[in-house]
Amino acid sequence: MLHERRRYVVLRWTLLLLGTVLFLLPFALLLRGAFSSEGDLTSGTWHWLPPTWEWGNLAAVLDNRTVPLGRALLNSTLIAVSQTVGVLVLSGMAGYGLARIPYRWSGVVFWLITVTLLIPAAVTFVPSFVLVSSLGWISTLRGLIVPGLFQALATFLFRQFFLSFPREIEEAAALDGLSWWGTFWRVVVPNSGGFAAAIGTITFIGSWNAFLWPLVIGRAPESWTVQVALSTYLTAQTSQVSLLFMAALVAILPLLLMFLLLQRWIVQGVERTGISE
Amino acid sequence: MLARLRGRHDVNLWFWVFVGPFFAGLVLFIYVPIGWSVYLSFFEAYNTVTPTEFVGLANYRDMLADPAFRDSLLTFVVFAAFIVPTTFALSLLTALLVARTRVMQAFFRSVFFLPVACSYVVAALIWKMSIFSGMRSGAANALLGLAGLDPIPWLSLTNPPWYWLVIVSARLWLQVGFYMILFLAALQRVPTNLYEAAAIDGAEGWQVFRHITWPQLLPASTAVLLLLLINAFQAFDEFYNILAGFGGYPPYARPPLVYLYYTALGSGQNFGDGSAGAVILTVLIAVVALAQTRLLRLGGRD
Amino acid sequence: MARPHRPLPTLSRRRMLALGGVGALGASLAACGDNTGREGSAGQEDGGGSSGGRPSIAQWYHQYGEAGTQEAVERYAADYEPADVTVFWKPGDYDQTTAASLLTDSGPDVFEYGNGPTIDMIRGDQVADLTDLFGDTLDDFTPSLVERMTYDGKIWAVPQVLDMQVLVYRRSMLEEAGIDAPQQIPDLVAAARELTRGDVKGLFLGNDGGAGLLGGPMLWAAGLDYLDGEQVGFHSAGAPEALSVLRTLWTDESLLLGQAKDWFDADALISGRTAMQWTGLWTFPAISEALGDDFGAIPWPSMEGGSPSVPVGAYGSCVSTRAGDVQAAKDFVRWLWIDQTDKQLDFATSYGFHVPSRVSLVPQAEVLSSGPAADAAGYVTEFGHAQTPLLWTPQCATAWSDMMSRIVRDGADPQEELDALVPVVEAELERVTG
Repeated sequence: MLHERRRYVVLRWTLLLLGTVLFLLPFALLLRGAFSSEGDLTSGTWHWLPPTWEWGNLAAVLDNRTVPLGRALLNSTLIAVSQTVGVLVLSGMAGYGLARIPYRWSGVVFWLITVTLLIPAAVTFVPSFVLVSSLGWISTLRGLIVPGLFQALATFLFRQFFLSFPREIEEAAALDGLSWWGTFWRVVVPNSGGFAAAIGTITFIGSWNAFLWPLVIGRAPESWTVQVALSTYLTAQTSQVSLLFMAALVAILPLLLMFLLLQRWIVQGVERTGISE
Repeated sequence: MLARLRGRHDVNLWFWVFVGPFFAGLVLFIYVPIGWSVYLSFFEAYNTVTPTEFVGLANYRDMLADPAFRDSLLTFVVFAAFIVPTTFALSLLTALLVARTRVMQAFFRSVFFLPVACSYVVAALIWKMSIFSGMRSGAANALLGLAGLDPIPWLSLTNPPWYWLVIVSARLWLQVGFYMILFLAALQRVPTNLYEAAAIDGAEGWQVFRHITWPQLLPASTAVLLLLLINAFQAFDEFYNILAGFGGYPPYARPPLVYLYYTALGSGQNFGDGSAGAVILTVLIAVVALAQTRLLRLGGRD
Repeated sequence: MARPHRPLPTLSRRRMLALGGVGALGASLAACGDNTGREGSAGQEDGGGSSGGRPSIAQWYHQYGEAGTQEAVERYAADYEPADVTVFWKPGDYDQTTAASLLTDSGPDVFEYGNGPTIDMIRGDQVADLTDLFGDTLDDFTPSLVERMTYDGKIWAVPQVLDMQVLVYRRSMLEEAGIDAPQQIPDLVAAARELTRGDVKGLFLGNDGGAGLLGGPMLWAAGLDYLDGEQVGFHSAGAPEALSVLRTLWTDESLLLGQAKDWFDADALISGRTAMQWTGLWTFPAISEALGDDFGAIPWPSMEGGSPSVPVGAYGSCVSTRAGDVQAAKDFVRWLWIDQTDKQLDFATSYGFHVPSRVSLVPQAEVLSSGPAADAAGYVTEFGHAQTPLLWTPQCATAWSDMMSRIVRDGADPQEELDALVPVVEAELERVTG
């Protein structure tokens, strides 16, 4: 479209390639670490590739009974899946109710919800811990999952989305005798797949990568998530740096795969969650 | 049929069927804890989350008088001063670069976006053990070695404070792709006829950006700035995972949430002071966010 | 250098010694308080109490890194006739988990704890008085350990095995430079400077330059201590000079920093990146495997008016006052950690190097009978100090380590820093003794 001078083209490509190297380097280093022998990792010399490839690291990290990595992967999966589903259902319904049902105090309720957007959840982790410990939910999956189900931002976004949803379809459904409930589940939900996918993928990533709350609540190893398990060995003393890299690789693989497969929805999710806050 | 219709018009009931579960949870897990913490912050509470002895404003006085707490606020300011402008500039730059590229655009976008999938914990591991390892085998030191320089123990020194380089670069890597996507979306919304008009006027390169692109990006820019600032305020993960060790946390580069974590949940177990600190931070962030939202409105957004 | 695969986190006994320097030792102070429900996943397995005729005892250990330790303690438990003892093996943040569980009925009957129970556990009546278990064997236990576990004239734990930190050096590197193993602090500073050549540094005190670990040894070197009874012990002439020695080492650039494996691993010494290193006795098997007899061990040197020192620590076996049958639990502790000397010896020496907590067993420990390990073990009775005193609470420890970091890394004035620390420590002493 625009005529671009040659030096701009050269500069642009130089920067793009340099950026590509810099942005991919950490992944390469993770891979290198995961398949290195311990001695090569802690030696004094730099290697681009492991001098000896330790394929056994994978088996070693998975077999390891003292590191509950399998359990942590299971916990992380359970938490991320149930939070994603929970957020979609709860915020989807709430967003629809706020957008469509002409309740008298709807505005007040909406205000009470949006005002919490001003306070990021992380800042209130001490109060939340106090509450959750009073419920006796420390080190339980409940304690890890339930407080994360109530995302004001997701509700806000769903409300905006449903406001732009074509009213005619819903009115037709109402004329067909469908209740609010029926209209929502049979007419609205089936037509909201793309939006839900965007919100869902972002919720899933946030949940999988969450650290502070699982650290605060997951006191017993049985309730560690992948991130907490990794952190425990990173901030404590590790005798096996290479196994730590391997564990980290195992921990991010599910998300990297998801990224490659679902990038379109993730990009949409980022656009919506980012712009609207 | 009749009943159903009545149901449809029973607005109160249906509203609460839809909004009730979410709203109840929000109240229980956000409003109740904050309220309880405000209450608890007026009491002494060691090793317990139930108030033991009323101490009035003593916890607030303790926190505000505690040099470590004030340092943590200063740490946030320093961190924000580093991270906000650099992330802003880099994500805008990558967005412009990627948007201009027709060849392999999807590839480059993925490259810059991919780190968003990575957790702070994993990034901290790579940064601490591979890139900024203090040994000659660390990537950064290997580079210095090529230039014939001595290796630097990046995380051990406080003068110069190299640890900022480690922490800021880790967060840059993790979040630049996220904000790049926001800028890309904004760039796509710039009407092409503006560019065409500029081309007719003979504008090029920097002039086009300055006079056409940038004004169109302003709304997105204010949103990005707000997000960056709020996220910087919540900094915890990479600080904790890069700097905490066996011996606890060093007395520098300790942002507010890390400080609060050690006060309330670390060896301190001091929930009175911890609650007071949480209340102070909550008020601070709410004020900042409100002020920013106000600015944002002034900036011309709806 | 292929090594056999070991468990990822070697959170072994060294863990406790490492924590000792700083706050986490007393992290003690319960995880979350009275309302901490620990039912659910963590709680179900932690049964205690009695069933049928024989009492049953739940015994907790933290997760030791050395292979075979778990099997060993399970074997010991199975040998005990009068009661059913079940061993629980706890990875992760053992101190916090245990401290929190003591508040509930799902806690242990018998448990080990770093350097014995904390002052808050003792004052909160959470642990039983074990004084009468010792009988005439009391004199046989390493005095510094018993003293550390004594409060109010009563002994609150039985020391299991002893860990120590010590200064290790490469004989060949010192000989080449014509340097003797340093006896005095000035010799150490000079030696560290002398031995620093390019990439090879003279001394490795940890990635924080010794701020976390060597504050105590420097006090002892000057003839001082953290506390003097129930009074502040560090606020005397000599303390600022002692602490500034670490700053001198730092500014001399004699210290190795930024290692992938911190002081608790001997990697830096073995690979020749440092000539001297502060580390633990547990690294000796690895060092002698790699270096043969090219290493020696000395205590931390002294200054004028002080004495050389080695920090020692021990997990102490404690009995919870909420145990199903406190007497049965105490009987078991007496049987295992006092009567069964062969088991104690096995525990100390078969799974990594540790010193038996009973002096009479030390000569029988074959791995400690010769070479640097024997030297190190010998320092325990002569120069051993409990890492920190019982009354040195987590708040004190945190304030101290913050101060040390400022002195060593930032060059803060030691006198001003010590002055500022006094009120903090006095307030804590007031809290726990008042």
